[in-house]
Amino acid sequence: MSTRESAPGSTGGADVPGPLHGGPDDDYTPEQLAALTREELDLLGARYDSVQVLHVDPGPEPGSAVEKQAVRQVALTFALAGLTAFAAFVVYVGSGWFLPDWQWDITDSGWSALFTPLIGALGGLALTLVGVGLVLYTKKLLPHETAVQDKHDGSHFDRVTTGATLVGGLHNSGLARRKLITRSLVFMGSGIGLMLVMPLGGLIRNPNTGDPLGTTSWAEGVRLVRDDGSPIRPGDQVPGSLETVFPAVPGGNRQADAATMLIRLRPEQLSVERPRNGQEDFGYGDYVAYSKICTHAGCPVSLYEQETSRILCPCHQSQFDVTQGAKAVFGPATRPLPQLPITVDDEGFFVARSDYIEAVGPTYWNRERI
Amino acid sequence: MSTPDPQSDALTGEDTPRGLRRWSRRPTAGSPAAAARVRRRSKQRRRVANVAGLMAALVLTGTLYSALAPSQATAQTNTTESSAEAAGRELYERSCITCHGENLEGVPTRGPSLIGVGEAAVYFQVHTGRMPLVRQEAQAPDKPAIFSDEEIDQLMAYVQANGGGPTLPSGDLRDGDLAEGGELFRLNCASCHNFVGEGGALSSGKRAPSLDDANDLEIYTAMLSGPENMPVFGDNQLTPEEKRSIINYVQTVKGQADPGGAGVGRLGPAAEGLVIWVVGVAALMFGIFWMGSKA
Amino acid sequence: MARTATAPGVPTTALGKAALEVDDRLIVAGPLRRTLNKVFPDHWSFLLGEIALYAFVILLLSGTYLTFFYDASLREVVYEGTYAPLRGLEMSAAYDSALNLSFDVRGGLFMRQVHHWAALLFVAAIVVHLLRIFFTGAFRRPRETNWLIGVGLLLLALGEGFTGYSLPDDLLSGTGLRIASAIILSIPVVGTWVHWAVFNGDYVGEYIIGRFYIAHVLIIPAILLGLIAVHLLILVKQKHTQFPGPGRTEHNVVGNRLFPAFAAKASGLFFIVFGVVAALGGLVQINPVWLWGPYNPAQVSAASQPDWYIMFLDGSTRLFPAWDINLPGDYTIPALFWPTVVIAGLIFTVLALYPMIERKLTRDTASHHLLQRPRDVPVRTSLGVMALTFYVVLMLSGANDVIAERFDISLNAMTWAGRIGVLILPPIAYVMTYRICLGLQKHDREVLEHGLETGVIRRLPHGEFIEVHQPLGPVDEHGHSQLAYGGAPVPKRMNQVGGARRAIRGFFKPIEEPAQVELEQRRDEHGLAAAESRELTTSGRPSDGGRPQEPRD
Repeated sequence: MSTRESAPGSTGGADVPGPLHGGPDDDYTPEQLAALTREELDLLGARYDSVQVLHVDPGPEPGSAVEKQAVRQVALTFALAGLTAFAAFVVYVGSGWFLPDWQWDITDSGWSALFTPLIGALGGLALTLVGVGLVLYTKKLLPHETAVQDKHDGSHFDRVTTGATLVGGLHNSGLARRKLITRSLVFMGSGIGLMLVMPLGGLIRNPNTGDPLGTTSWAEGVRLVRDDGSPIRPGDQVPGSLETVFPAVPGGNRQADAATMLIRLRPEQLSVERPRNGQEDFGYGDYVAYSKICTHAGCPVSLYEQETSRILCPCHQSQFDVTQGAKAVFGPATRPLPQLPITVDDEGFFVARSDYIEAVGPTYWNRERI
Repeated sequence: MSTPDPQSDALTGEDTPRGLRRWSRRPTAGSPAAAARVRRRSKQRRRVANVAGLMAALVLTGTLYSALAPSQATAQTNTTESSAEAAGRELYERSCITCHGENLEGVPTRGPSLIGVGEAAVYFQVHTGRMPLVRQEAQAPDKPAIFSDEEIDQLMAYVQANGGGPTLPSGDLRDGDLAEGGELFRLNCASCHNFVGEGGALSSGKRAPSLDDANDLEIYTAMLSGPENMPVFGDNQLTPEEKRSIINYVQTVKGQADPGGAGVGRLGPAAEGLVIWVVGVAALMFGIFWMGSKA
Repeated sequence: MARTATAPGVPTTALGKAALEVDDRLIVAGPLRRTLNKVFPDHWSFLLGEIALYAFVILLLSGTYLTFFYDASLREVVYEGTYAPLRGLEMSAAYDSALNLSFDVRGGLFMRQVHHWAALLFVAAIVVHLLRIFFTGAFRRPRETNWLIGVGLLLLALGEGFTGYSLPDDLLSGTGLRIASAIILSIPVVGTWVHWAVFNGDYVGEYIIGRFYIAHVLIIPAILLGLIAVHLLILVKQKHTQFPGPGRTEHNVVGNRLFPAFAAKASGLFFIVFGVVAALGGLVQINPVWLWGPYNPAQVSAASQPDWYIMFLDGSTRLFPAWDINLPGDYTIPALFWPTVVIAGLIFTVLALYPMIERKLTRDTASHHLLQRPRDVPVRTSLGVMALTFYVVLMLSGANDVIAERFDISLNAMTWAGRIGVLILPPIAYVMTYRICLGLQKHDREVLEHGLETGVIRRLPHGEFIEVHQPLGPVDEHGHSQLAYGGAPVPKRMNQVGGARRAIRGFFKPIEEPAQVELEQRRDEHGLAAAESRELTTSGRPSDGGRPQEPRD
């Protein structure tokens, strides 16, 4: 046995393998293995992996017409893949060099608009052909073997021995007896655990300081301005129109909750208008202003149908009726759009009379309390 | 051939020689999109368009004369009616009067009064084929125009003379800032007409139409007149320059290529989801069927 | 046993020597042989999970490329790039870099599109793979762990998809982010606190894109990678399931060894997946952010939708009635909470726990390695189809405005159709599937008992017409076979049992001469063919497999 250490190909580090070593190297000497053919070795190894090759369909006969055809087919596929890959490369590198420029601008519908499609078509074709070639090779030229591998459920021996080791180690630690250590460990574990997640506390911020959800930049005397900052007079809009307005504060047109719809009602709408209780004077003449932020999920509403007086939200199709105080009349929204009280200042421009009297945007847990 | 009257040009909309005129008056530097359009347009179409423009110019000369010469106060009398108005009245009485009533006053439950809608509304409604209506529906569908351009001019002259209201714009309707137009489009129009004017659904069977087939003047008059459920965008709300910017944006984006391949309707995730299942997953399923088969 | 220098087994070739050097150091020969010898069942449906795996590889590669150019910042910049309709506008640096990536990086648009298509494919492949696992019962003991990991992978893929969708900060993704913010706010009690933790304050703040970015490129992919590794390790350890058939038992796997046949096919599939994604990435435009415009909280577009895999949540949100619940003390549970957090939570909880639920109900606690045909488990199959119907109705409702617009249907009618459909279609689907399963089962039994329909009609002396059946086995005095059903496909056509000429082989076109096939068949009839070997080489196609024979042990 001591010859093993000098054995070429020896994998063992043990100079003198103990009686427990076992394994295939004990079953077969190098001489025995050397006497086997490659096929036999393959099958032998497979047997050690619980695999039995039942049947081998050797594939086409070497030199046969079937083989030649298959070889031609596979080679052609790979060649085509190479060709298209090179073509993709040429398009990528050559555009702007000896081919027209690749960079697209809106006036161009020629080469530059075809650059990406060409890369995709050629590159995609090349990769697909590589795959097709590999599959063709497998299907047409490789031997088809049918192998069976045994499945083993867990070994009882392994379970028992592993269990013994685990339990033995635990037993030797004596933790079951030394209660004081166990308790201190539990205490230590919870402390260390808390300490480790502690930094996440940096993420926690109080949403209730200053009521950011319930207030916007609108306030008494703040002008209603367009996106470009220009103020609005009552004569600017015609009946049946809608304008998105913002508070005249710095950055007002980028604020997420300030966007407001200024709507001038048509006479027919005005005659049927029923504002919400206590908000009868929020409009100005035939103008009303409602928050543009949907009370459902916060999308900007504003698909305004001036004949049916409905405002539709494009995200979830909630519908609000501007002649009924922007009440939700269809879809998943529950609350009406908040109304902004407006009037006209000394110079004749629209201003807000105050902030919204309720929180704009989607509903949340303590909305009614703030 | 002389440059046609700008007024007539605007009147006849997309098929007028606007491209040519823009070419001569505003060379490419200002608007690459315009240049591209010009290049794409064939010579033959240009010639046809020129003839059409000339004819429209002739018609409009008469219309303008009649519209400007008589006083509005006596609009309902027939004494000062021009030939175009008379022809328009004839057309009106033949095709529109059932719903819109005598003297444009409207018929309850059938059609609204046309007093004050102006030629802009007439142009939009008739040129897009929405009027005359075939039947009462949730919304008037657009279809090929029933009246010729000349007849539409006559109808406009009649309605304008007898009811007044917003008039057609003149000049280059794409003479605006592209980026500003985009910003205004997304703020005011995209909520109904989709990001790039593909159209969208409204409540109960109504819809904001796609702008694919809309010409400049149709878009302009739609903003000006607020047809059906569309809000009105008066000139004090969106200035004529802003309207032109919006039109420039819509038409430029509509005409530009899709550099990333097939646009699949430019509809976004719904269309893309369909493609990944119908094309992507289907192709790969086919692939693995083939791989799994013996031959 | 003394050895000489020319002892047997000494490598003589350079390659052999190199291999020896490697193995001397790493000792990999044993594990490598075990890997190469691993047997994979040969059935098309086992490749579905691989598609998802390869899509993930493509995502890693293309995504890494995108990070070279993307700037995850909400800092305001003015666009000065190539795309004229946006030039001069203020936008976030994130959107600006997405535009530059699309227009000013050679091939950048292609890579962006490849990444997005691969993402859609990734989730789609996971879902199809999940359906295969579900309907064939592959989740049963001992594979519950892998089922749970799989559901976790699906959830992570959704999170990965949503965070990626939000990164360009265009008008479409910004709208999606707005809705996500509202969903977080809708959680009772802690909603606002969670929102403040995620967004670092009120919507939209300046942090969210940076946080989503790190989640998208580091946190979620790392967990995904780890879980995929565990998913595959468990698979290797437990070995594949297989469909019942001749020679296939609970204790073996019949198929191809990994090397070379399976490895070649699998790499072939990788390239085909890559090719399809690359072709889509170049030929079909996806998420053209330049058309959507920069995000602005005051702007919105009609037909704003999430990507397909989130669409079911958008659909449930559209359908859910306007039911805020007002609690004493002026607290509110927003209506939005139910169709998003609750429904998603329920769907995924039930999905994750399904193996345990089924085990409880059927009291089947045994290990299973043989798959079931969906028809043989009608309750599970019907439940699955019912859930799928529910899901599809929700998903279609997520696009109901596009459907309404394209097909000229009333939007309100679509909403109501969805509301009613989501309640009544799933039970209908259940009943129909159940009937179909029973019908198919019955037909299988009928064929086993009476034999195949031959199509030959015979007139008996007394005038009665009967159809001649070909029994599949020995018959008793009534002409009935006593064959038991083995859970494998039962032949339904004469050529599957050699009664007629068998089907000519060839996927695209015939690759055999009919005359040759006939010859071969005649040989078979003379008992020349090795019956066993032929029977074992059943292919993956259902129509080929499963001759009526008891599985052998």
